[in-house]
Parts: sequence; structure tokens; C-alpha cells
Amino acid sequence: MSALGRLFSWGNAFEHPVTVGIVAAVSGVLVLAPLLILVVNKLARPEAKLKRELWLRYLSWVVLAPAIALPILAGPGWTVVAVTALGLLCYAEFARATGLFREKLLSAIVVLGILAVNFAALDNWYAFFVALFPLCVGAIAVGTIFLDRPKGYIQRVALALLGFTLFGAALAHLSMFAHDANYRPILLLLFFAVELNDIFAFCVGKPLGRHKLAPNTSPGKTVEGSIGALILTTTLTAVLGHFVFKSTAFDTWPLLVLLGVTISVLGQLGDLTLSSIKRDLGIKDMASTIPGHGGVLDRFNSMLLVAPAVFHLANYVLPAVAHGQPQRVITGG
Amino acid sequence: MKEFEYEPSADMGLTPRERLKSVHREAGLVATFMHRLWWAFVRVYLRVWHRARVEGRENLPTQLPFVLIANHTSHLDTMLLAAYMPGRLRDKVFPIAAGDTFFAKTWTSIFAALCLNALPVWRKKVGSHALSALRERLVDECCGYILFPEGTRTRDGKLTKFKPGLGMLLAGTDVPVIPCHLDGAFEALPAGKRFPRPRRLVLRVGKPIQFADIANERTGWNHVAETTQSAVSELGVPFTSAAT
Repeated sequence: MSALGRLFSWGNAFEHPVTVGIVAAVSGVLVLAPLLILVVNKLARPEAKLKRELWLRYLSWVVLAPAIALPILAGPGWTVVAVTALGLLCYAEFARATGLFREKLLSAIVVLGILAVNFAALDNWYAFFVALFPLCVGAIAVGTIFLDRPKGYIQRVALALLGFTLFGAALAHLSMFAHDANYRPILLLLFFAVELNDIFAFCVGKPLGRHKLAPNTSPGKTVEGSIGALILTTTLTAVLGHFVFKSTAFDTWPLLVLLGVTISVLGQLGDLTLSSIKRDLGIKDMASTIPGHGGVLDRFNSMLLVAPAVFHLANYVLPAVAHGQPQRVITGG
Repeated sequence: MKEFEYEPSADMGLTPRERLKSVHREAGLVATFMHRLWWAFVRVYLRVWHRARVEGRENLPTQLPFVLIANHTSHLDTMLLAAYMPGRLRDKVFPIAAGDTFFAKTWTSIFAALCLNALPVWRKKVGSHALSALRERLVDECCGYILFPEGTRTRDGKLTKFKPGLGMLLAGTDVPVIPCHLDGAFEALPAGKRFPRPRRLVLRVGKPIQFADIANERTGWNHVAETTQSAVSELGVPFTSAAT
């Protein structure tokens, strides 16, 4: 198969046992969840509003889970397309929430930047991928100079840089991962662990939470929930990671624990980063795109810092992550 | 030009479907691109198919806010009135469209919002309250409206009585209203026909009128309706006399 053909091929999508395991586990939960919700409704008799919220969240997951898993299973190219779409959706929500969307030229530069970094990832041109960060920062800084409106320059350029950094440069590391031969279990593990990290924090924090973590930023989060999530996510990641990275240099317990801690801590910090932005703007959700969850960004904020950190950790230990497959698949050279 | 505004969009918190129908809708990058594309296409279409001509072009608004009004004979009217707006104002110029025609179905709402940049007015609910959100946006945010004070397309080509709704938007504000008269659209695409015939369209643009000293109540609204109706009617005189 040609290198380009490989990008959009299912290949042996279910070759790896962790891929099968995660897909089966999530599918199982989605099948059983309605029964669980019915039991909870029967026993606990929650208020009508909470009931509706539970069903909305469940139905959203019925759409979200395949939207995450299918592109990853369908091939590296589809994964990059999905990550690009995710980055653009997140940026659109960020821009509308901060007012940056009114700056059309600057927004257009950020969008081009997001497309460019993901294209570099699709091409598997790592040197260009790395070069695009400073290049795009430069383009954002100078792009609107000739509109000759120095008033407000710092606010709008700083916002655009934050937007490009988080939703372009950082998130596109997920696209870069797609060239690893083992990318399916790696990415599924990342999404699985990051989403469970949120759920663990909630489940531990609700009954045991006594001390607020950052009450002004996110009043619902507790130190106990945060530590609980750290322990549970690290354990889960280390165990699953052992199977994902079996017989590679990564397959040592200290590194696997470091991977788990990275995912848990940066996942929670990504969440708090978005909470800070929302608090500053005085809004509850970034948008109302996903019923029961708020915006796309409200759901995927935890991935923003995890993606680059885990990529570079993996790339440091296993250089083949970015260099093992054919380079410059589309541009050649 | 304004400095950077650090504030969420006015349609924040609405679902994508609600946003399409909201009078607070603000254009994002995709909408801006689509508006430019659509109106560039319309300009070419009007020139090639209808040999459209504008008289009194110097009276066309170059800055916000404003309200552009005309006689309403055809769906082509909005195209002709909006096609000649300067590109830099494009996102802030809103044709006011009948909610029950353009915003009842999702796909027509997408077209009306993404291509036309139209805002809905619900004809069955028109009262001072229904129009207050539009008036507020016109004055506070500085934008341009394109509307047809007759409320619906004429069925016989003749000008019908202007409704007081225009007065509810304008009375007591500094916003200039620019009366226009459209000729040829009724012959090209009257109500009930599906495909436009290649008739020449002429847009005549009159001098702006202001109603800053007019009270924002029923007598004021009627005054605005009567004054603007006679202004539009007068602009149509050369067409009528040419025809007779």
C-alpha cells in the first residue's frame, strides 16, 4: 500500500488488544448506561431537571464516543481531519466567547495556522510542524499591523496567540501521534484516560471532598477529588500503558507512572485553564453545542495540555513516534 | 474604527439552531466569507441577467447606522438593495426578512443567515415589543437594516400602505432612513413565480430622511410611515410617467 493510501486505510484497526479493550469497554458502558440511569431514577428519584441532564449527557456521549473513536480507527488521515475539525471548533468557541471573532483578519490567520500545523502533521513533516509554531506566532504578531489600529493591539494579538497555541499548536500533537505504527491504542488510551480523569475527580470529590482546590476559578473542584483522580488515572494509565508500549523502552513502571501523572495533572490543569478563561469572561459554558455538556471546548479542554506533553514524552523515549513512518507523505522531498 | 472589544458575542449561550434565528446573531469567520461570496455572486447575476442599474448611487449609505427601505414587489428586491453595500459594512447590514418564510425551516434559516445575513421579524407577533430588540441593536450597535415597510410583496405591482413598524424602529433616533424605489422586479419575478425573467432592474436611491424629533408613540410611527411612503412613491414617479 502507498504511504498516502495508508493514511486513509482501516488496515488492521483492531490489531492491538488495547484498542479492542477500550472500544469494547466504552461500547459496553454505552449499552448498559440506560439501564443504570433507569435504576438510579427508580431508587434515588432525582429531580426532573437532574433526570433530564443525565439523559442529555448520555445521549451526547452516544454521539461523542463514536465521533472520537471512528476517525482513529479509520486511519491516520481521518484522525488528522478529526483533530483539525476539533481544533477549529474549539477556536471558534474561544473566539466567540472572548470577542476575538470580530477581528476577522486575525481570526483568519489563526485558522490558517491551525490548518497549517495539522497539514504538516498529516504530511508527517516534523521539521515543518516544529517550525510552524514560531512562524505562526510571527504572522499573528505582524498580520494586522497595516490595519493601523494600535489601540487594543496587545489584547487581540495576545488572545489570538493563546488561541493558536492551545487549539492549533498544542492540539495538533494528537495529529502528529497518528503516524506512529501504534497510534490507535495510544490515542484511544489518551482520550479514555483524560475523560475518566474528569469522572474520577467528580466521583471521588463528591463523597470525600472537603477542601476546595481553587474556589474562585472552579468552585466544584476539591483537593480530595483531584488527588483521587491522580491516583486512579495514574493506575489505569500505567496498567493500560504497559500493554500499549509492551516490549519498548517505554515499558518500565517509572515511565508508565510518569505518563499517568502527566495525563492526570495536565488534564486537570487544562480544565482549570478553561475555567479561568470562563470566570474572567463571566460565562458558565463556552457554547451550547453539545446538549448537557456546553461547548466542544468544555468537553475537550483537558486534552489541550495533555496532547503536547505526552507526545514529547513519548517522542523522547521512543524517537520512532515521529520518525518511524515515511516522511513528507504529501509534499515529497 | 473601534478598539478591541473584550466581550462575548451577543448570541452567546444559544444553540447553533437558535443562533440562526436570533436577532442578536453576530457573524463569525465562516459567515463573513459566505456573505462576501454570496453578494459577489448576486452582483454578477444582477448585472448579467437583469442589466441592473442604480440611479442616485451617491445617496447610498457609506457608514452605519442606516435603514434602507423600498417598495416590495419581488424576492429580487432584497438582492438589488443589498448588493451595492460596501464590503466593509457587509456583516453589519441585515435584510429584515419574514420569519415565517425564511426562518421556519432549518435549511432556509441557514441560507438566510449565512448567505443573506438576514434577521427575522415574525409578522404575527409584530408589536412595539417584538421590534424593540431590533431597534436596540440598530441604535446601540450601529448597523444597517434593509426592509420593506409594506410588510409583504405587492400582488398587483402597486405600492400598498406602509405599516407603522418602521416608525417603531426609527422615531426619536438619529438613524437616517434612505428611501429607494425599485422598478422591473415585479415584471421579472412577481410573487408566485419561481424563476426570474431577464427584465432590466432599476434601483433609484433617494435622499436620507431623519426622524430624531418625532415622538416614539403611535402618532409618531404613523408620521414616519406616511412620510417615507410618500418619499418612496415620489421616487417611483418617473417610472410611472414613463409607463403611461
